[in-house]
Amino acid sequence: MSSTTVKNLVNQPYKYGFVTDIETDTIPRGLNEDIIRLISAKKNEPEFMLEFRLKAYKQWQKMTEPKWPHVEYPPIDYQDIIYYSAPKQSKEKLNSLDEVDPAILETFEKLGIPLSEQKRLANVNVAVDAIFDSVSIGTTFKEKLGEAGVIFCSISEALQEHPELVKKYLGTVVPVGDNYFAALNSAVFSDGSFVFIPKGVECPMELSTYFRINNGDTGQFERTLIIAEEGAKVSYLEGCTAPMYDSNQLHAAVVELIALDNADIKYSTVQNWYAGDENGKGGIYNFVTKRGLCQGVNSKISWTQVETGSAITWKYPSCVLIGDNSVGEFYSIALTNNKQQADTGTKMIHIGKNTRSTIISKGISAGKSKNSYRGLVKMGPKADGARNYSQCDSMLIGDTAEANTFPYIQADNDRAKVEHEASTSKIGEDQLFYFAQRGISEEDAVSMLVSGFCKDVLNELPMEFAAEADKLLSLKLEGSVG
Amino acid sequence: MSPLVSVKTETNTYLSKLLKQFASDSQSKNLKELRDRAKSLVESSRLPDKKDEEWQFTDLSELLEQDFQLAPVAEVSTQILEEYALLETRESRIVFVNGYYSPELSNISAIDATVYVGNLKGLDEARQAKIVNHLADEVGNEKLFAALNTSGLEDAAVIWAKANAIATIPIQILHLSAPEESTKFSQPRTIIVAEKSSNLQIVEKYGVAGDEYGKVPYLTNTVTQIWLEENARVNHTRVQKEALSCFHIAKTAVFQERDSHYTGNEISIGSKLYRHNIEVTQKGEQTETNLNGLVTISDKQLADTHSLVSLNLPHGTVNQLHKCIVSDRARAVFNGKILVPQKAQLTNATQLNRNLLLSPKARVNTKPELQITADDVKCAHGATISQLEEDEIFYLRSRGLKETDAKFLLIDAFAAEIIDRISIESLRKRLTQCVACKTVN
Repeated sequence: MSSTTVKNLVNQPYKYGFVTDIETDTIPRGLNEDIIRLISAKKNEPEFMLEFRLKAYKQWQKMTEPKWPHVEYPPIDYQDIIYYSAPKQSKEKLNSLDEVDPAILETFEKLGIPLSEQKRLANVNVAVDAIFDSVSIGTTFKEKLGEAGVIFCSISEALQEHPELVKKYLGTVVPVGDNYFAALNSAVFSDGSFVFIPKGVECPMELSTYFRINNGDTGQFERTLIIAEEGAKVSYLEGCTAPMYDSNQLHAAVVELIALDNADIKYSTVQNWYAGDENGKGGIYNFVTKRGLCQGVNSKISWTQVETGSAITWKYPSCVLIGDNSVGEFYSIALTNNKQQADTGTKMIHIGKNTRSTIISKGISAGKSKNSYRGLVKMGPKADGARNYSQCDSMLIGDTAEANTFPYIQADNDRAKVEHEASTSKIGEDQLFYFAQRGISEEDAVSMLVSGFCKDVLNELPMEFAAEADKLLSLKLEGSVG
Repeated sequence: MSPLVSVKTETNTYLSKLLKQFASDSQSKNLKELRDRAKSLVESSRLPDKKDEEWQFTDLSELLEQDFQLAPVAEVSTQILEEYALLETRESRIVFVNGYYSPELSNISAIDATVYVGNLKGLDEARQAKIVNHLADEVGNEKLFAALNTSGLEDAAVIWAKANAIATIPIQILHLSAPEESTKFSQPRTIIVAEKSSNLQIVEKYGVAGDEYGKVPYLTNTVTQIWLEENARVNHTRVQKEALSCFHIAKTAVFQERDSHYTGNEISIGSKLYRHNIEVTQKGEQTETNLNGLVTISDKQLADTHSLVSLNLPHGTVNQLHKCIVSDRARAVFNGKILVPQKAQLTNATQLNRNLLLSPKARVNTKPELQITADDVKCAHGATISQLEEDEIFYLRSRGLKETDAKFLLIDAFAAEIIDRISIESLRKRLTQCVACKTVN
């Protein structure tokens, strides 16, 4: 392949990079106690939330930004960020999705997420919560889910209508002072999704949240809380995009999952935030804390992530396996191109007996990017019969990309088993030759090889997402092999 | 180790107390400058603690509680040699006691003129100067303890093979500690130079003279440096079998020129706290590095191996296998780093760490690390932690073996993978027995 076609293909436009021009309700820049009070007041929150936020803020002030990730970025000025920005609404409270600003509905439609229920009939099995900058725009299929007893709404709404549930579970998995970015999120989080699946209920449809950052100076701090009671089952997906700006925006989210006895939560992410241009200008800093608690016996939490966007990704979806026989899973594809940096992986903390975990991580680094897997597998002294299997494979495309693995393995138990394997390779000349011989272009061959490399993870995604993710991978990589 | 910026006063006084004990005027002018530089590095440092990533699991606070005095010249009886000297090296061994050369115990009658085996002081001026130059380019992360060793450097064990020299018999360097009733520290130093196309087989052994002092804590802070010139081959086996009251802190630094082969076998059995930093630096193309490690610990022992292989040029090969057998309340730590920067294309690197946990309170912390920027490479690493398989024991018992015998057979097989890679027969035999006595009780 000639180098000019390579260049053209690498510079594939980011098709979600447009900006929606709407009036917004924005608070002043900066962070202090007054700002936190203002956010809390704007959202008309119960008293305990304000206390929660202020406690987190106090802890955050005492903390310092983590320096251990294998990423580099200029210092972030936390006083230069707008912590709350919402589209202006004509009415205090919207009764239905039809009353949402048409410009916003159009935005989501453009992103391929039509919010009106009629339009979604063709694809009826997914309920969506759409989040635009700091607020939730609307949630579809609420009534239908309500019939099954499932609560699916924005977390602000949950604070109004189910404060007792939020109070009981919020911050139990990721405490306010857990880490720097989690503390920041706990202090200023604006919205996010709330899911509650009561005892014995299998959620009748896929739940999904779509995050969109629109404002160029806003940070997005969303908070997701999913609770699956005894025997409940749910599959949840999230997707994210942002416009192209020259500046970097901070996205510091916290996701908490709680699985009680025999519950099953599947959490899938396709992350496609704006990654910056080929020189590394602009893009989202994606600093996310995701953690699931397998509290009950035989419970299961499964994380699947496809990370293709963001200038910097710092993310370790984890499972704390407390209940006996509980299962944790982590399937990840992290693709970095140009100057993207990713330091991602998982933590599997085995506490209960016969707990099992599986880690499959596929890293693909192209261009001048840095891609690191960082993981922890810990076998506690009481985790008799616990097992872990980890596999981390990296694929390097081009000789300027970097792939690193930092697996931490800690065993305090002689009846636990840990296996870790990692490999690094590139797309072989002979593989490409084989394809060429059969009349398949180099471009198609690479995309087939990559999707074969990622198959183990793609298979874990819900159907529609898997196809989309596969397409996304080939699009992102087009032309990076020459 | 993190940058040595913050100087904690407590650990700093501790270090300067150790520094004060070194004789201020060295006999050799060349050495003096080197020592002074090392001294100022130690003075501006602090002892690492658990907050330092590289020392996260190895707690030095117990070391801080001890008031170590520099070990004096000591005499040990020749009987001790029966325990440590090998059949193959009866006429090719040098012995150091507490870091001081002992000509009476050494015997180098079987060594010809192409290889120098002895102490630094006995070496000719020209080569002495060369060594001092070599010593000046100390690299690596873990500088503090190596610098402490250099600060007190007076003499060292030296093996120097001239170009094309082929040593037909293995050479043994025996470093003995003769602990006394009070807490002592010694700082053995070993320097190995293999000139162009030479071939060496070396056994470096650390032991204790007499176990009647086995209960008094002592510190061995040792540094071994090995230079392999073009096409040289060194097979280096390092056996650490100190008393259980020993703090053994060691660094092995290897520099490899083009086409050289280095094989390092690390066997660690003794010491209550063992920390070994292995640092291999590739200085030419097409080098081959094999690192094998076997750690057998029990009781409350801690054995920590940190290895760093930095490849800088194409066609390098690295094979690493590190195995730990951990019983009782012991803890094994392993951190293996392999750096493959963009220039090191066509590197072939494998690293595997396997751990066998034999009791409920035994612990393992492992972190195999790969950092790769070159795309045309083959790199793989792995780590496992497991126990003796019930099924395997059952199988052996169904064949009429006692449970303890079955277990021993399996442990033995686990260790054999490393022991079998050692080329010296009597050492192999001895180690096999050692693993047995250590784990079956």
